[in-house]
Amino acid sequence: MNVIATATVTVAGLAAAAALAGAALPPRARAVTAGVCTAALGAAALAAGTAALGGRRWSASLPGLLPPAGIHLAVDALSGLFMAVGGAVVLAVAVYGIGYAAGHGPHGIASRGAQAVLPVFALALVLVPAAASVSTFLLLWETMALTSLLLVLAGHRAGSPARQAAVRAAGIWYAAMTHLGFVLLLAGLALFAAGAGGETFAALRAGAAGMPPLARGAVFTLVAAACASKAGAVPLHPWLPRAHPEAPGNVSALMSAAMVNLGVYGIVRTGFDLLGGGPRWWWLLVLGAGALSAVYGVLQAAVASDLKRLLSYSTSENLGLALVGVGAAGLFHATGNRAAASLALAAALLHIVNHAAFKALLFCAAGSVLRATGVRDLDRMGGLRARMPATTAFFAVAALGAVALPPGNGFFGEWLLLQSMIHGLAVPGVFTAIVLPLAVAVIALSAGLAAAVFVKALGVGFFARPRSAPAAEAAESPPTMLAGMGLLAAACAALALVPGLLGDGLSRAVAAAGLADGRPLTGGALGVRLDRLAASLSPLWVACALTAALAAVSALTRLTARRRRRGNARLWDCGGGAPTARMSYTATSFAEPLQRVFDDVLAPEQDVNVTPISESAYLVERVRYQRRVPDRIEHRLYRPFLDTVTGLGRASRRLASGSVHLYLGYGFFGLVALLLALAVGA
Amino acid sequence: MNDAVYTQLLDLACGAFLLAAVVVLWLRQLASIVRVFALQGVALAAVAALLGTYDRRWEVLAVATGIGVLRAGLLPLLMRRALTALAPAPGHPYEEDVSEARETEPLVNVAASLLSAALLTLLAYAVARPLVELNPTPATRALPVGLAVVLIGFFTLVTRRRALAQVVGFLLLDNGITATAFLAASGVPLIVELGVSFDVLLAVLVLRILTTRMRAAFGGTGLDDMRELSDR
Amino acid sequence: MNAAGAVGPAAVAAQVAAVVAGAPLLAGLMRQVRARLEGRAGPGIAQPWRDLRKLMRKEPITPVGTGPAFRTAPLLLVASTAVVAALMPLASTATPAGVRSDLILVVALLALGTVALALAGLDTGTAFGGMGASREMTVAALVEPTILLAVFALSIPAGSTNLAAIVSGGIHDSARLASPAGLLATAALAVAVLAETGRLPVDNPATHLELTMVHEAMVLEYAGPDLALVELGAHMRLTVLLGLLASLAAPWGIATTASAAAVALGLVLFAVKVALLGAALAAAEVFWAKLRLFRIPELLAGSFLLALLAVTASYFLTGE
Repeated sequence: MNVIATATVTVAGLAAAAALAGAALPPRARAVTAGVCTAALGAAALAAGTAALGGRRWSASLPGLLPPAGIHLAVDALSGLFMAVGGAVVLAVAVYGIGYAAGHGPHGIASRGAQAVLPVFALALVLVPAAASVSTFLLLWETMALTSLLLVLAGHRAGSPARQAAVRAAGIWYAAMTHLGFVLLLAGLALFAAGAGGETFAALRAGAAGMPPLARGAVFTLVAAACASKAGAVPLHPWLPRAHPEAPGNVSALMSAAMVNLGVYGIVRTGFDLLGGGPRWWWLLVLGAGALSAVYGVLQAAVASDLKRLLSYSTSENLGLALVGVGAAGLFHATGNRAAASLALAAALLHIVNHAAFKALLFCAAGSVLRATGVRDLDRMGGLRARMPATTAFFAVAALGAVALPPGNGFFGEWLLLQSMIHGLAVPGVFTAIVLPLAVAVIALSAGLAAAVFVKALGVGFFARPRSAPAAEAAESPPTMLAGMGLLAAACAALALVPGLLGDGLSRAVAAAGLADGRPLTGGALGVRLDRLAASLSPLWVACALTAALAAVSALTRLTARRRRRGNARLWDCGGGAPTARMSYTATSFAEPLQRVFDDVLAPEQDVNVTPISESAYLVERVRYQRRVPDRIEHRLYRPFLDTVTGLGRASRRLASGSVHLYLGYGFFGLVALLLALAVGA
Repeated sequence: MNDAVYTQLLDLACGAFLLAAVVVLWLRQLASIVRVFALQGVALAAVAALLGTYDRRWEVLAVATGIGVLRAGLLPLLMRRALTALAPAPGHPYEEDVSEARETEPLVNVAASLLSAALLTLLAYAVARPLVELNPTPATRALPVGLAVVLIGFFTLVTRRRALAQVVGFLLLDNGITATAFLAASGVPLIVELGVSFDVLLAVLVLRILTTRMRAAFGGTGLDDMRELSDR
Repeated sequence: MNAAGAVGPAAVAAQVAAVVAGAPLLAGLMRQVRARLEGRAGPGIAQPWRDLRKLMRKEPITPVGTGPAFRTAPLLLVASTAVVAALMPLASTATPAGVRSDLILVVALLALGTVALALAGLDTGTAFGGMGASREMTVAALVEPTILLAVFALSIPAGSTNLAAIVSGGIHDSARLASPAGLLATAALAVAVLAETGRLPVDNPATHLELTMVHEAMVLEYAGPDLALVELGAHMRLTVLLGLLASLAAPWGIATTASAAAVALGLVLFAVKVALLGAALAAAEVFWAKLRLFRIPELLAGSFLLALLAVTASYFLTGE
């Protein structure tokens, strides 16, 4: 029997077992059993995905399972990539979750409901890429959305009233946005199935070419909008920076590292594989949305002082970069440069893999900090490296990946993305000539700002001295949480040092997306060369060279120094003498220059309140200063809409007078009017 | 002059021409802006001279000389004199508003203006592309430069507050049009060029008088003060 | 064959040695030029070396409340800059490191040093450290688009981001260097180099006023050998970046074959070019004033525009 088949059946079985364990077992055994089963589920999915990346394929039809359409599953290399990423994240985060749940009371993530729903979420997460028909895809997609919504709401009875209100608001936003996305997806795929004359992906693939261009465009726009919303692309993002921070630590890791990827999967699967590519404007749309999310996401992250909100905006940024890659791939494909197209798509996929590794680790570390201190505000953290050394080290590894600098794991993906842009210039045409330089500028700006963002997160949150009592009393996380984070850190390190090992798998995934054109990148453990393009990079060599240089510098310093023992001294601070912790730079003050530079884009709200002493206007009793950087897009785009809807709702109250006869009458008249319209129309 | 050298020199002259327009947006001191504008005149004259030499059309060389004299010499001179008229009298350095010599606060800030100039250049490139493809010679390939300078000049005209900066914006616009004419069609007939130059000269003279009048009326050359003239 | 095989590694070692040994001399030369132009006698060009020697002899000090990030940052700064010096074709393109000398990698490695120092600045928990780190990261973030776009423009004619390929392309086809695209990209890169190395008008390396400091505020807490490493790292950064500028704008003399004589000549020319650039920069700095911090974005937007113009110019002037 096929490895993938075995693994998929195991995944389903383990999910059922974990959900049962979560629902039925007593609290103490619940988290451990469900966690172990979920971790095994992740491992099985990872195995299936890896096998698919290795070139195996598998498909199955179970017509009896969900009549009338039945369940159709198929795994190729492209699905395999997303299954493997999802599986790996689920594996590590489930291990982490065992310890995480233990520290919480009966409500929240440790509750019966949450523990039973979590495995189902994991199951949907790894199986969405395996869906091979419209109905299966929609079913799994909606399961994923609903279970994650329940998990976001897990904390609605824990914590302070303000926190509970925030959780509720996040839940409402998430529910509304995700269902709006679902409606778009449903409409798009239904249109597609109707046009192609079948609902399995094979039928869609066969029928796509015969569809009129307008219908194809409509299908792509609808599906891409739905998927972009799932990926947190601006301007469909407002749910993301609300839901991800309010979810429990392990859930936000799963959502931010695995669930958002499926948005990109949906666009790639529909745009390239099922529709077989399309005209330029599709991809310009994708690229534009990606560029906008990259810059806007990272700017918001730069001024955020809530650690988890910062990480969510950074998710928006990174998925934006992946969308830039996908859009560029589509543009190259549309202009006929297949080599550049496959390279750009490979870069986008690689960036998703890297992002999943470091973002899962970042969210897990943030969850550990939250669990240990109860603090999410960077301004009130600080000094954690002394009390939580392992967590700090893990956060630092992940942050190195996130800033896209060598030897971190994010660097290679962005390098590949830039290479695909530079080599895409061979394509003649105004589009590439104008779009590509701007895309390079966007990538560079977001990389530069990302460095500032993570220097802030690490330096202000974990270094220096504690700025609040909870931060000063933090304790290191339990071993299972550290083990989960250790797995992710190992994944980050492997991706950073030997990304070449992914080369073949990426080539197969790109080929499965329908951009078969040789192997875009080749290489093994030692380095990576690009097909037909004069570029190569060896991350392992860079890491070795850096280590060697570090050792040499340190040895030389020791040799030349007269005195080897380090002495301690109090901080000089320009003669000011050891400053108190309240004098140190906070996240807000760190971000101030950037916020001033991007004043026009961010439009911060400032409020200065001066209360004079009652006898004199010149003597001040109190000055209250407040500054908020609201999500401007949310304010400008969603608020007016929501206000209109609320106004309409208020106005329509008159329709509901309380009379039952009136309500029944609405239904009756509606029915009659419909029938009349039918009669007249016929 | 062989082809490679001609192309290289033409490209350099066009590059300098575009760069000067960008630098005008970048600078605040009106005196420096006028200096850069003079340099742009030199670059424009060089473009014309190169085209004339390469095609061996001597009347174009004559036009080039005229352009050099007018745009690198006469117009900057006029503007400089307008500036000195605005500057505080010697011996009383603190009497006048210093901001007269500077474009202190343009409507769009400098960083944003520069980014807009970048986008305008890309736009010019996109628009000129079909024209270039009709007849790709080194001269027509540089056509987007002319268009870009036209757009940047217009942008300056729209966003600057000081009257003199606006004059420069207008002249940039005109320089761009002249450059486009040269690059697209190796120049316009001599008589048309003469007429245009005369018009420009006249416009600058009129604007100079206007600035003096404005200063007399409002004590400054900030164009926002002109709103007071409207009847409401 | 054997001799030729040994020349490559030797060239790499010579480049690194030249950068490490020459960087303080370059700093000394620049200070001397500045002193003479300002009518002072100046301490001589070897003064930075004397300072470094003095600092190395002092006791290493760990300020209370700082962690591993503070201690490793100077090492990482010097190490990453040394790797860059090894990677770049400063004296020869035919080195074993030449195939790996990716321009994007070079930029990223230099940024790694900046990030390490900024983290160290925050690690001290002092207001000045945080202020310096915040400003440095702001400038670094805004410089990034300029640098990468300039890289993009320079790699269009070579069809590759490999520095060795770009430099040898420039040697063989010098018309490329004098094209508008090449000149604009070099100008943009020059502004970016000023910002990256914290020279005037972006930052004043000689300032003693904490509130105007950018780089210096970040490293205020360093003393003794750590400070020596920070200073050496800053000098090396300047040398490497000026070397990058020199080898992109005037690549003549850089060895393209693995012969010892050519490499030696390349090394001497490298020293001369960097010294000339440094002297010119120092002379220019006499006439410049430091920009306000919030005027720096204008400067960087300008250089970004130059880089973008370089890219577009490479299309519409000589392109397809």
